[in-house]
Amino acid sequence: MAISAAGIIFSSLNDNTLSRLTGDRTVAAIPFACRYRLVDFCLSNLVNADISNINIVANYNYRSLIDHIGSGKDWDLARRESSVNVISPFSTATTASAKMFSSHMEALCAMKQYINEIKEDFVVLMDSDNVLNIDIADVIAQHQKTGAEITIVTQKAPSDYSAKRPRMMLSSVAGKITDISLSSSYNEKNPELSLYIFVMATTYLKRLIEESEGYNLNSLTAILLKNCKRANYRTYNYTGFVAPVSSFLDYYRCSMQLLEDPKARESLLWKKESPIFTRVHNSAPTTYKEGAVTENSMLADECNIEGTVINSVLFRGVTVAKGAVVKNSILFHGTYVGKNATLNCIVTDKDVHVSDGVNLSGNHNMPFYVQKCRKI
Amino acid sequence: MYCKKECIAMLLAGGQGSRLYDLTKQTAKPAVTFGGKYKIIDFPLSNCINSGIDTVGVLTQYQPLALNEYIGNGAPWDLDRQRGGLSVLPPYKGYKNSDWYKGTANAIYQNITFIKQFNPDYVLILSGDHIYRMDYSKMLAQHKATGAACTVATITVPMEEASRFGICNTNKDNSIYEFEEKPKVPKNNQASMGIYIFTTKTLIEYLEIDEADETSENDFGKNVIPNLLRNGEKLYAYNFEGYWKDVGTISSLWESNMDLIGNDPKLNISDRNFRIFSRNMARAPQFVGAHAVIKDSLVSEGCKIYGRVERSVLSGGVVIEEGATVKDSIIMEDVVIKKDACVFSSIIDSDSVIKEGITVGEENADKNNITVIAKSTTVDKNAASAN
Repeated sequence: MAISAAGIIFSSLNDNTLSRLTGDRTVAAIPFACRYRLVDFCLSNLVNADISNINIVANYNYRSLIDHIGSGKDWDLARRESSVNVISPFSTATTASAKMFSSHMEALCAMKQYINEIKEDFVVLMDSDNVLNIDIADVIAQHQKTGAEITIVTQKAPSDYSAKRPRMMLSSVAGKITDISLSSSYNEKNPELSLYIFVMATTYLKRLIEESEGYNLNSLTAILLKNCKRANYRTYNYTGFVAPVSSFLDYYRCSMQLLEDPKARESLLWKKESPIFTRVHNSAPTTYKEGAVTENSMLADECNIEGTVINSVLFRGVTVAKGAVVKNSILFHGTYVGKNATLNCIVTDKDVHVSDGVNLSGNHNMPFYVQKCRKI
Repeated sequence: MYCKKECIAMLLAGGQGSRLYDLTKQTAKPAVTFGGKYKIIDFPLSNCINSGIDTVGVLTQYQPLALNEYIGNGAPWDLDRQRGGLSVLPPYKGYKNSDWYKGTANAIYQNITFIKQFNPDYVLILSGDHIYRMDYSKMLAQHKATGAACTVATITVPMEEASRFGICNTNKDNSIYEFEEKPKVPKNNQASMGIYIFTTKTLIEYLEIDEADETSENDFGKNVIPNLLRNGEKLYAYNFEGYWKDVGTISSLWESNMDLIGNDPKLNISDRNFRIFSRNMARAPQFVGAHAVIKDSLVSEGCKIYGRVERSVLSGGVVIEEGATVKDSIIMEDVVIKKDACVFSSIIDSDSVIKEGITVGEENADKNNITVIAKSTTVDKNAASAN
């Protein structure tokens, strides 16, 4: 039996902490792991659980997101009955200008009309900046079994955990959530980290929206905290690999982790039963020329390698010319690295051109970012 | 529904390709993997869409399952259309008679109704077993300018190979005065590529004449084209310049794959101006391990390379384990080459496994001694060419 659930993906509530990568794209459209964008993981997690009614909430800069999703065909989401949509702030007859969504609840309240039309029994809410390959069907199954009002996917926070902005942390007893707080570092009292994936009945979501409006509470965390003592909110403990892309440095480290850690790589990208789908570009296979040296790297299609590539992540259509050396770097789609150029700890955005002989170096703790279309 | 097209294409994809031996035991030739992520049929289909032809009939007959599944509704080539688009045309049982396609001409004859549906001025006849990039609209422009009844695409081949082809003997203005199918002593080296543009009226007329002739083999090259010439119809040659290869044999298939690699490949597959489209799987990126060596090769998505790959073409999802060596070979989808195994000058069909330490093929074998491992084979003994 197919699960009766709809999905809501939040794209751009956290744009500001990823400033460089979100210069001209929303969080969900950030390229990741050679050929994907962050939204691909959300969409694939939902599609792999047979969820096909999906809305993506995006504040601004969503052109590249809409372009990427197209009709939804690449995720099998171009159907008669259900589909994938992008929802952005809009103005109405009574409000002259559209107001940005600053929180989950604000976006949900604005989408009330759509939410009232959801026919599915359950909704899955998820942020797009946690990259993981999770069995959502299993989360929903547990949600139904335990009779919880909300199930929140969590992960044990590492003791050295720290984030650029406060995240939802919680504690639970035998799976039942007892306390919730917002914290940007490890919190002994609430040691479980919310992965911002929430499962609830559609009717319960409607109730939360009413509460939010009634109590004038814009923060999802505040509403959950208000209710958690009385209500049956439960955790779903996820133990697999998660790439938390909450800052530029996080982004760099997570990408490098995929190269270092075969288990992380396999469980995120090579899971047979839950593949990650993405927009298909009909690129040719990658060409390795006579003098190519490639070590411990991940490459998309249509790259052209004549030089040396070590510990790096190369997106579609990257050229590394003869004598060039690319180390510990992430090169987005269409980057050109000229002859004898050397790159170390560099992240180049789309269509960057590095001329012959140029040397660029960052540091593992401070990778250097090169803007889209820049010529160096 | 009224639907008028200027030119439609009929793609002959029913050939068995018996000279590809094990590779076409379960698959029609047009569905054979080429260049890592392509199938042979991607080339004519992509040529069509890149030339502005949006209506294509694909005539299938031999082992059509894999081919039909691959083609689907034509979406990968943008041929899923409300008007026109791609149609698969298998042989069928009619009210009066039913028959397998007897020859290339008979196959088109049996689908005259399909052609008439679109009321086209011209019909382009293609075959599904050649690797080439061609803008058919240029050929059509010449066909219109000369007012020919039929235009035959030709390519210059080495004189010593000319006797393997249909040879067009032409006047200075490219009009054809003689067509010789596989002549023992060829008069020139302008070989027919098996690509024809017909003015629709002429095509239907001559297909009907051909069908009525019981002695005919119902073949375009052997019967229809010579018949047009005999009756004094205007035939012109269209000289195509560029890469073109018939991949009907193991050696030519291997050779053509090898033409994609090297520092100056004969066929540049990644030319975005004339893209070859294909059905794509959602595979992970390729991963190259710390001790891997990849030189002069083409590697597709989802591959995991820990060993050594030289002068080879790898399809999606291939795993080359540590210590393994692959040289001068074509490795198709999801093949696993285990630890310390060696593959030389071979074609390994999809889903096969080469066991640990096994050697397949001979190092530096020539193109006539390519070793072929059939689909889904587990190789646990050393194996070499049996051609």
